[in-house]
Formats: sequence, structure tokens, C-alpha cells
Amino acid sequence: MKIVNLLAVVDNEKCRGCRTCERVCPVLAIKMENRKAVVDNERCRGCANCEQRCPYYAITMVKREQPIAVKVDVTAVDYALIEDLCRKAKFNPEQIICYCTATRAEEVAAAILQGAKSPEEISFLTGVRTGCKVECIQPVLRLLEAADIKPEPPKGGWQWYGRTVTVWEIPEEVKRKYASRGFYFDEDIKILDRVANAPLQGRSDS
Amino acid sequence: MRPPIMPIPPRPSQYGIDPSLVKTRVAELPGMTSIGLKELFPDLPDVIYPSAEGVAAIRKATEESLKNVDMSKIKPEHSVNILAAHHGFTLLGGEPYAEMLKTIKDVIEARTGCKNIRLRAGVGLRFRETEEYIKRYGLDEYFNGKAIGVAPVDEGIAIETEVGTLYGIKKIYDADWIVHAHNSDVREVHFHRQVDRAVKPFGMAYARIETRSTYHQNLGPRAANFTARAIFDSPFVQSKFAFASFLTVAPNGIINVDSDNDLYALNDRVTQSGCKYYGKMMTLFGEIDECIAALDFPCPVVYVFSAGVIYANFAGANTDLYDLDIALPAYTWYTEAFYGKRGKPLLDDIPRVNKAIKMCVHNYAWTGYPSAFFSEHIPTIVVGQEQADLFNRDPQNLTYMKHAMVAEDTKAAMEFAYKVTGTKKVLIFDGAMGGINVSEPLAEFLLKKAPEVSKRVDEELLPKWLRQRGVIL
Ligand code: SF4
Ligand code: SF4
Repeated sequence: MKIVNLLAVVDNEKCRGCRTCERVCPVLAIKMENRKAVVDNERCRGCANCEQRCPYYAITMVKREQPIAVKVDVTAVDYALIEDLCRKAKFNPEQIICYCTATRAEEVAAAILQGAKSPEEISFLTGVRTGCKVECIQPVLRLLEAADIKPEPPKGGWQWYGRTVTVWEIPEEVKRKYASRGFYFDEDIKILDRVANAPLQGRSDS
Repeated sequence: MRPPIMPIPPRPSQYGIDPSLVKTRVAELPGMTSIGLKELFPDLPDVIYPSAEGVAAIRKATEESLKNVDMSKIKPEHSVNILAAHHGFTLLGGEPYAEMLKTIKDVIEARTGCKNIRLRAGVGLRFRETEEYIKRYGLDEYFNGKAIGVAPVDEGIAIETEVGTLYGIKKIYDADWIVHAHNSDVREVHFHRQVDRAVKPFGMAYARIETRSTYHQNLGPRAANFTARAIFDSPFVQSKFAFASFLTVAPNGIINVDSDNDLYALNDRVTQSGCKYYGKMMTLFGEIDECIAALDFPCPVVYVFSAGVIYANFAGANTDLYDLDIALPAYTWYTEAFYGKRGKPLLDDIPRVNKAIKMCVHNYAWTGYPSAFFSEHIPTIVVGQEQADLFNRDPQNLTYMKHAMVAEDTKAAMEFAYKVTGTKKVLIFDGAMGGINVSEPLAEFLLKKAPEVSKRVDEELLPKWLRQRGVIL
């Protein structure tokens, strides 16, 4: 769950319409209108990506009067389906995949099972990718792929480019080549598999 | 007992509170002392910084080390990107790293006639951090306006590697040549496990979010560093790589500057000194049975350091972070991710946070790194409402204060900590140079334990650690 207590506010005097903010917003909440950036207040998840990257320091983050709680209800979906999807993507459903918001794989899976089809929609619904903005793109792409969804990155955007390798896909010859240099691929597969298949603790954290 | 070493003053930054709000440093309180690191481990190397010579020693060492580097590929009409990363600027005040960067520029220019030399400085999770350092150290002027901070959400570039496509930051690679300017400070040994430490920025500070996410989520805790090696080994990066220059660092300061056209040769040297010197500090810290940890330095909670060891490593010092047979430290993002809904690890053999940390007094630290795991697992008391408010505004730390308490001032926080924990041992993470600030009982404890730790590392642990990494020098 994420509590959104901030909102991006653009200073029109400073904005030069460079589109950087539009290209980095993980939920597509800031867009150009008449060559100025405009924030969709309801959509903004307060991540500060735009504020942190605007080359002209035209954006500030202000406190929202009414914070928004962003969360997908896991109980609204058949848990067996959630479990299947997570384990197919090699996650334990209870595994945290976003450290800033402590969002678990099950919540992202629930969002997908309820119809979310892209990282942008998932971030909007769950808050993942709106904390540090860096670490959780791959789990999101893996869970989408496990649901046979192949999203396209936003056109012209820098939000994300593509899924990358997982430890289960490292070629054997690569493993062999670097075996003596401290890369413990097979041993790590063992622990990640054990985590993915570990029994659920099974209590709602609400 | 010696007087404490005064830590560097608080810094103005958008990631920290106003320096004027930091009224007392923990080291100033009664009962605090310092130990010179060479008192603990007499075999620590001599340092060139801190020293009476100041940063001039860094300039000299950089020039000296670059004498052995081949720069013949760089032509006057070419462009060169000197690649830097944010952590160098928190090391011993930051000036030594800035001086090394300036010297590299000057030497390249003098030796090759090339004038188009730019600085590209990567960040962690605080996207404007290096912009602040560039101004602070006058690097923008020094590089004739060609010094910029780059962030992992900036425009990317696909890099084809042995394990498929990974992504770098476009501006890192937009020159004919790249120079990797870094440091060997052990920093996040809980993540990199001292495997390919010298190569890591190619998968972090110079990399896009997809690559960093691969490192932290797609590979395992001991395989993850391969991400950086895959990128560095790619034909694309190899075609641009000129050389690397490192501040080589030990817990007591900067030992030298090491430059090489062969990054892996440099990497092996760094692996050995990292395992030996920081390995001793880590092992000694692992011996601490109980203490109050005090954070007092301008950088995020996890990174505040003491004797070269960061707080995040101390949170895992109950396991041997260098021993690759141990799958998981007690703290990494992997460990953190593996706690289920009941707040217990998903597997019984996942190690718990270092029980020796009875309480954490957060006197001064920055935001900009997800740190709620710490306040959730270690009783935490934050000094001043302003720091608490800052955390509540940080998208990465919205629940940090949920688990922490606020004290009015430093003295009250420490008195509370003494009372509740019953221990008088205090370890201060304030980046004191050349020594370590601690309370008197902890000083006695560490001085007593150090000789045995030193012997154990030299005779038992170091040979194992180096064997696991294939490093034979
Ligand atoms: S990044 Fe800044 S200047 Fe560029 S369009 Fe957005 S608000 Fe305007
Ligand atoms: S979600 Fe983030 S990037 Fe998008 S408008 Fe809000 S603060 Fe800016």
C-alpha cells in the first residue's frame, strides 16, 4: 500500500516545455498542454520523479490536504490464481517487490488479474515504482509476462525499455566461465526457488 | 582516553534538514572517546589522506598513478567522459574525490591534447545529489560547464551483453572514450559481497533502472554483480573504455590512487585490500555483543559510516558478509523482501538483523533511500521533529516514522537509549576520519578484541575469502 501525501505542482513561469517530466512519470500523470507541463492531480502518485529531473527546477512537491491510500484489494481475486501467477513469475506471493511501499507480489498479481495491462497502470493502482522509482520495474514486467501480457513502453518515454535476464536464464557456458570468480548462480537459484515455493504466512497485513 | 574526533559539519542539501537544526553531535556528549584505527589494527596501511599535505597529496598520487596508463587512443579531436559516482563525494569530506577528478582531467588534457573532456556523475536514489556536489566542489567551472549529474531514469541506451540486452544511461556513453573514476571504499558489502567491487558502477551509477532492478531483483544475492560485469565486458563498453582511476581506501583513510588500463587487474588489487582491511573491521564489529548505534552524518540512514563500515553492514555484522557460502546477509533488499506478512522471514534459515544493536539514535541522516526496514526491526529514536517531517515527505520513507520515536534533543535521546537498553556501549556512525568515535566501555571492548580478530582474519578468513573470489595475487 502507498499513502500519497504529495502532489507535483508546476511553475508555469519556469517551465520551458522540454517534456522531460512527461518522459519520466511512471503513471503518465504529467503531460504537455500548450507547451507547458500540466499535472493530473488525481493521477499523480507523488513520486517526485518529475521534480527531481526537471532541468529548470520548475516543479515542487507540495503536501496534499487529503492524502490518497493506494492499494489493490487482494481478497477481491481468487487467491489460487494469484498464487499461480506469482509462482510462475518465480515470486512468493508474500515476497516484497517494492521496498519503498512494501508492496508484495500478490498485490501486483491481483492488479493484473483485475485487468491491469502495463507497468503504468500497475503503478497507478498499487504505488510500485513511485517510491525510489528505480528498483521494481523487473518484477512488474516478470509478473505481466507470467500472465502472457507483453506491454509496450510508452512512446518516446524513458519510463522503461524492456525486461532483462533472470538468474534462471543465465546460459550454462556463462556460469562455467565465471565459476571461479565468486558468482554463485546455481546456489542463488536454490535459495530463490526455496523462497518462491515457501509456504504462505497467510495473514492479511491490513 | 582520547578526545573524540569532530565529524564533518552537517551539509545543506535537499535531502537533509537545515544544518542549523543539528545543534549537538553525539561525539560531543560526555563519555565519548575515539580510537585511532591503527591502534586497533597496527598493520593497516599508511594513508596519504587525511594528512598535513591535504588534497595536494591526492593530486600528486593521481599524477603518479597515471604515468603507467596508456592514453594513446585518445586523440585531440576526440571527446572523453570521465565517469564519477556519488559515493566518492561522501568519502572523507568529498574533497579528495573531487581533486582526483580534476587531476584526471588535467592529465588527459596535457598528455593527449584533447580538450573536450566532460564529467558525468551518476547517483544512487537521490537524483540531484551529484548536482549538489558538482556545485559544491566547483566542478562545473573546472570542466568548463561540461559537468552534469545523470540519473537512472534519464534517457537510456540498449547494451548487448553475454546475457542479453541491458540498459545504460545514454549520457554516460555519449563520448568517444570513457574513464571510470571511482574509489575502493567497501561500502555496500552486504550487496556486492566484495565480488567485482571495482566493476559495480557499470551496473549501478552508470546504469538505467532496468539494469539496477535486474541486479536487485532478477539475479540472486551472490550472482547479482554479474550484471555489472556483463555490461563492462560488452563490445560496446569495451570499445569506449580508456582506463580506470581509483582512490584506494582503507578504514583509516586514502592509501593511494590506483590507475590501470586493465580494470580486472585493478579489481583484484581492490578485492585483496578490501577483504583484508575492511574484513578486519567488519569482523571486529561482528564481535560487539550489545550497543547503541548513533547515526550522525550527511547521507542516508544505511550509508552513515564508522571506521569505513556503513550502518547497513553493521545491521548484518552477525553474519560473515565476506563468506560466500552464506547465502544471505541479515540485511539486503533480498532479506528485506523475504519477510512474509507476519513479519517473519519466509524461510527459517534467513538470518535476522544483528541483535547487538539494541537501539538506534538517529541524530542526523538524510532521506533518499528506502530505510523503513531499519526502524521496523531496530528500536529507533529520531532527534528533532524536523527530521521526522522530512522523512514523512520522502516517497521512499513514508513509513520510517511509523516505527520510530522523536526526541527533543540529542542528549535526551541518548539518555533514553541508555535507560531502556541498559548498555553503555555506543558506536557512532559519523564518518570520523582516521579513527572511530565510541563510548569508553566500547573502546575498551574493541581494543581487547582486536588482536584476536586480526589473527583470525589473516590466518583463517582472508585465505577463504580470496579463494572464493579466485583472487591470487
Ligand atoms: S521537465 Fe520542467 S521544464 Fe520540462 S516540461 Fe516538465 S516542468 Fe516544464
Ligand atoms: S506521479 Fe511522480 S512524476 Fe508523475 S506527476 Fe506525480 S510526482 Fe510527477
